[in-house]
Amino acid sequence: MATNPAHNKEILIFLLSSIGLIVLPHVYHLHWGVFGYFCFLLAWRFVGIWKPERLPTFPVILLLIVSGMAILYVQHRGFLGRDGGTSLFVIALGLKLMEIKTERDLYLINYLAFIVAASQFLYEQSILMAAYILFVTCVLLAVLVYINSYVAQTSVALKKAAVIIAQAVPMAIVVFILFPRVEAPRWLLFNDDHQAKMGLSDSMEPGSITDLGMSDELVFRVKFAGAIPPAKQRYWRGPVLTQTNGKKWTQASDLSYQKYLDKLTYMGTPYQYTLLMEPQEKNWVFALDMPADYPKPLERNANYQLLTSDNLDKRSEFKLVSYPTYNTGYLTKTEFKDARHLPGEPSENIKQLVAQLHGFDSPPDVFINQLLNHFREEDFHYTLTPPLMEENPIETFLFETRYGFCSHYASAFVYLMRVANIPARVVTGYQGGEWNAVGNFLEIKQADAHAWAEVWLDKQGWVRFDPTAAIAPERIEKNIDIARLVPGGLISYAAPSAGAQATFDFLKKARQLWSNVDYNWQRWVINYNNTNQASFLSSFGIADFKTMVYWMMGIVGIITAILSLFLLYRRPKPTDPVLIVYNRFLKKIAKAGLTKKPGEGARDFAERIKSKLLSQAATIEQITDAFIDQRYGRNPTGRGLIELNRLIILLKL
Amino acid sequence: MQNDIQQVLKEANQVILGKERQIRLALCCLLARGHLLIEDIPGVGKTTLAHTLAKLLGMNYQRIQFTSDILPADIIGASVFDGKNHEFKFHPGPIFNQMVLADEINRSTPKAQSALLEAMEEHQVTVEGVTYQLPEPFFVIATQNPSHQIGTFPLPESQLDRFLMRIELGYPDPQYERQLLTGINRHSLISTLSTQLTPEQLQNLQQAVTDVHVSSALLDYCQAIINFTRESPEYHCGLSPRAGLALLTAAKAWTFMDNRDAVIPEDLQAVLAAVAGHRLRSGNNDSEAIVAPILAKVAVH
Repeated sequence: MATNPAHNKEILIFLLSSIGLIVLPHVYHLHWGVFGYFCFLLAWRFVGIWKPERLPTFPVILLLIVSGMAILYVQHRGFLGRDGGTSLFVIALGLKLMEIKTERDLYLINYLAFIVAASQFLYEQSILMAAYILFVTCVLLAVLVYINSYVAQTSVALKKAAVIIAQAVPMAIVVFILFPRVEAPRWLLFNDDHQAKMGLSDSMEPGSITDLGMSDELVFRVKFAGAIPPAKQRYWRGPVLTQTNGKKWTQASDLSYQKYLDKLTYMGTPYQYTLLMEPQEKNWVFALDMPADYPKPLERNANYQLLTSDNLDKRSEFKLVSYPTYNTGYLTKTEFKDARHLPGEPSENIKQLVAQLHGFDSPPDVFINQLLNHFREEDFHYTLTPPLMEENPIETFLFETRYGFCSHYASAFVYLMRVANIPARVVTGYQGGEWNAVGNFLEIKQADAHAWAEVWLDKQGWVRFDPTAAIAPERIEKNIDIARLVPGGLISYAAPSAGAQATFDFLKKARQLWSNVDYNWQRWVINYNNTNQASFLSSFGIADFKTMVYWMMGIVGIITAILSLFLLYRRPKPTDPVLIVYNRFLKKIAKAGLTKKPGEGARDFAERIKSKLLSQAATIEQITDAFIDQRYGRNPTGRGLIELNRLIILLKL
Repeated sequence: MQNDIQQVLKEANQVILGKERQIRLALCCLLARGHLLIEDIPGVGKTTLAHTLAKLLGMNYQRIQFTSDILPADIIGASVFDGKNHEFKFHPGPIFNQMVLADEINRSTPKAQSALLEAMEEHQVTVEGVTYQLPEPFFVIATQNPSHQIGTFPLPESQLDRFLMRIELGYPDPQYERQLLTGINRHSLISTLSTQLTPEQLQNLQQAVTDVHVSSALLDYCQAIINFTRESPEYHCGLSPRAGLALLTAAKAWTFMDNRDAVIPEDLQAVLAAVAGHRLRSGNNDSEAIVAPILAKVAVH
């Protein structure tokens, strides 16, 4: 090319814009210092397109390099680990922008940009991000096409790049399925600082779940292999809170009584399901109450909560079996002590209430019913924005405010049980979930976080009671619906009109559809690790590494061969009947080893072959004349075509 | 009519030896109403060719020797004050002839070169606001020295485009050169030539050329060639629509000279180098080499 593409304004604008697009999502992942540094360099380079004299001189570049290194060191203490490595590449990319001198520099920047684009996947693997990266890759390829085209047009370059990507898709699929997967050792990621994820905490102060009540963030999905439990049984067990100081509820510090626990007996039909957990900070797995079968490395602790020894910082999948009804058997001494612990002497008001509900003079089940009735009949309200209860929260709640959500009810319920000498504890977790009709799975969101109570009853073991259900039975039957859950109207929503309802239904359906796509993406693409690959491939009889590689090379080879043959022999089919007939003549001649060159006219061809096929020279001459007459002549006739055909049939070699 | 053409060719071939193809192209160019550019080193017979054709076709012939100080007025003429009648009178320049040989056109400055532009394209000249028609038929044969020679102003693309064809004569083959060296003086030979085709006859032939049939299959091929030059990386810029028209017109004349009435791809191929060579200009002056990729790669169906 005549001019240096490194000084071509259009190319530079195109390249720099695409690089901006690539680094853009890193705004969520990188430290603002690194991102700001990059943006500064990019902006500088943009100015340099029009004012090249403003670009940094060598000493300034040196200074920039030093400052970039300083930022890297201050932020990450080096460039190891995911964040440090990504920052290094982003800073290097920004610095390289400052010295675009030759065509080679453009290519180098382009390749660097591909690496940065790939680094996005270290942070986010959603289908949207994949689509975005694919788009960005297309733009990067288009820049390469643009640099190498004589008549550069952005739209043409983008189109060509899209075609290239589309052509690469079959290859990518084959390699994705068959390429041997290696699990990255965990130490490779040692420098990661985890983004704090919201979730249930291991302690509870009524009010601490307020935030969760409204969050639409997905926690896990459940796909049932057979029957689906009714809404009333969908309690997903989390931490069990036994200890309290009157305000705050925490887990029991000592769970060593596990070895003394009675044997669990299960009843009813088991539910088999696959749990797909979103990334979590804790190692809790929210199984349906009560989990019976769970794969390694899951473990069930003394409070029947499932824990995993692995980190849950990636989406992970578990195959579980749970029984809706069970009997935990006898109570251990520790449990008995813990579950009756009171932070101090209960007040007169409390004692009076317990006595009034026959807490001291009747069997536990009577008292429980009395208490639930009390919640139902007295003026208790469910609200997500309860008044502040700093001193004696339980007493304030029971006698004064009477506005609260699940934690208030569960803690008050358990406290009153303990006052009546009945062993009880608070269980936290999730309840309900929304059924995705498109993908046939259940979605549990942070909004479904819940707290309920467990009471130990003789011959039944630990039994679940949900005092919140007493005031708001709707909550059990349906997913969270604030307008119904707030009888006091503290949060009021206008009743949706019919039209709005239709829109809402449509949106809901669309959301479910999307959620299903996302689920399958997780299930089949992101979670396609070495174990899943092995089990998937073994269903095709591909058992070991070697066969896998052979298969991959074989299929890639076949695709390459098909594509090359297609490209080699892709010729437009003639539509002119004269040409079709003439091509038969060419075929006949080709048998004698003589082929027409692409740029050779019929007459030239005839002259060439006549000397080789002397016996047929006259016929060849006739055929050629007839062909030229029909194809290029003034008056092509049907008869002439028939004559041409006849001559060609008669031609004997 | 065809006989006359063959006669012209035969006579011309006796004067200029061993250049049958070039002579044929020159006549083809004339029949297609185009102007001819002959590019070669001095002394290979450029002037002789022009002179011979003029003589054989009975046209008024005038040679204009272009030099670096030639002015437009020296070509198209000027108004001179007539003392007797007390008025300006236009004195037509050498351009007012049926056949004009613009010798060594690239030795003149662009200003003088451009004086030819209107004349070639419109067959008329405008002096001081008055337009004068040029005689018909009007045919310009320009010769130019290879541009690497000292004291040349290369013709701009716009000027080159005015020439239907550019041909090179080249050195004669040894056998013809021998004849040339031993034979009689070419100039005295030219003076013995007689007119084979009157200007009126020539105009009739030119009219007949336009009636040659062009099939859609041939147009496909023609367009494929044009598109190839526009898309192939081998050419800096492709053929213009005017170049496409020129190609077709020249091919028609070639067909006509071959006594056929429908253009076939071979006709296009025959004139391609002469018509497209100077319009593509891919840094190379050899027309045959310039169009070789087209002939090899554009498929004929």
